Amino acid sequence: MEELLAKVKAAFSSTFDIDSQAITLESTPSDIPAWDSMGHVELASSLESAFEVSFDVDDLMAMENVQEICRVVQSKLAKVQGACV
Amino acid sequence: MRVSSGSNFAGRLLRRLGENSHLVDAATGQTLSGEEVSGLIIGFATGFLSAGLQTGDRVLISCGLSPASTLAYLGAMYAGLVPVLADERTLATSGDTLLTRARAKAVWVDKGVRCDWARKNGVAQIEGSFDPRPADSLRPAPCAEEDLAVLMPTSGSTGVPRLVMVSHGNLSANTEAIVRNQRLGTDEKAMLIMPVSYCFGASVMHSHLYQGGGVVFDSRFMFPDKVLHAINRYGCTTFAGVPAVYNILLRRSNIRSIPVLGLRRFLQAGGALAPEGVKEISDFAPTAEFFVMYGQTEATARISSLPPDRLGQKLGSVGLPMDNLVIRIVDDEGRELAAGQTGEVQVRGPSVCSGYFDDPEATERKFGGGWLKTGDFACRDEDGYLWIKGRTSEFIKMRGVRVSFGEVEGKVAAIPGVCECAATATQHPEAGEALALFIVADDAANIVVEKVRRALPAQWTCASVRVVPELPKTENGKIARSQLRMMA
Repeated sequence: MEELLAKVKAAFSSTFDIDSQAITLESTPSDIPAWDSMGHVELASSLESAFEVSFDVDDLMAMENVQEICRVVQSKLAKVQGACV
Repeated sequence: MRVSSGSNFAGRLLRRLGENSHLVDAATGQTLSGEEVSGLIIGFATGFLSAGLQTGDRVLISCGLSPASTLAYLGAMYAGLVPVLADERTLATSGDTLLTRARAKAVWVDKGVRCDWARKNGVAQIEGSFDPRPADSLRPAPCAEEDLAVLMPTSGSTGVPRLVMVSHGNLSANTEAIVRNQRLGTDEKAMLIMPVSYCFGASVMHSHLYQGGGVVFDSRFMFPDKVLHAINRYGCTTFAGVPAVYNILLRRSNIRSIPVLGLRRFLQAGGALAPEGVKEISDFAPTAEFFVMYGQTEATARISSLPPDRLGQKLGSVGLPMDNLVIRIVDDEGRELAAGQTGEVQVRGPSVCSGYFDDPEATERKFGGGWLKTGDFACRDEDGYLWIKGRTSEFIKMRGVRVSFGEVEGKVAAIPGVCECAATATQHPEAGEALALFIVADDAANIVVEKVRRALPAQWTCASVRVVPELPKTENGKIARSQLRMMA
């Protein structure tokens, strides 16, 4: 989980040009000015390439804070791994 | 010049508020009735005056996506102050310079919004709301139609935007033209996901309140389904957005399974949305009209609009001028061109503003000779419909925000390892236009490209960075923009 969080934070940091230490599990769009509608799309793209997953519309809607983003990514990764077995 | 309370646009708007004039914050559910809106506008006006501000003083209003900034903006105008509008999200970086440029006496921010930049400038800070006041406690400040009502920023993202001087008469003229154009009734409610510091957002708010309707603000468009649900929950009749917004609705929302049947109209401005996008959106709400529109802050907001019933024949056009404006197309020498010929769009009429604040040179260039020189290239067809061909070569429009190539190039050229840079625009499915950068490098190509990508501000969408041996130049050493565009 910690490794995943670090990668999520790195994606935030590169997408929004902010210090990754400023990001916590509770961070929401209202804490990060650049996390607007277009920012959300770009964040999703950098997460997709960092984790090699792809999000559908419902995933995007669920990604309301960092914790939810980690949860969505984790469930995507679980599916990918499940498919490989 | 006739001075009266009746010319104050905020005063006129307030008199027309009715039982449908709610202001709603969809994120919190907070709803203000028409009576409360009216009391709060007068409360803000009274509060600003009690804080020592006087007629004509400029007050910077930090605009977010909630009713408070609209109340503060209209309250300041009602009191005879000059509100200077700015997007809350950009103030942390540009607040300093904007304060200096506007020479504002005070700054208003919503409750809980930080404004350290204001503190160090030593201007008065006013935070949060004021108590409502009875309607008869303060009359709107008397003014003339020509008097300055608000300073509106042009849509520049970084650096300092120019401030357009919008008069009370400009606001009335454009608002009334929009009301006629969209046949707005008295029971309308707009869903607004743009702040009122953007002229498109302001025009939607003005026109709906002016007709006794209401506005729902929603700051949650990063989760578009929430906004679609809010449209239904609050019974919104109008939805407004720039092309990027419609592209997000089409690609990144569940608009297919969340019908918005109460909508009467979609409004689209701020750049070109692909004709297929217009058709697709229309299909999701067949009872709603789709308005493709064109405008500029320098003309208060709206310049032209395509009648929805002509969408079939004229898709791709931005329509006909507002009924109180005259448009002409001119060549480089300023000669008027015939139908079918492409030249610069120029506009004249009561909603064309008088100029930029404190910038006579730019004012002369843009507004000189009695015509607003839009900087957009277009032609008119035999029926008078306007077809925009592109912007003059100096700007890129990313996500509805205009940035000059000069600004981009300056920033990139300052990155260590970059010797020289030229920027051009390329089409982008979500941002509208994106940057294509050409760089002459000092360092190894792959290192420079990575450095440049990291150094670009998050709000700039960059499609490509290419290292080239030299940049295409004109005879007098300027970057050859047309050639560059071909290379992208």
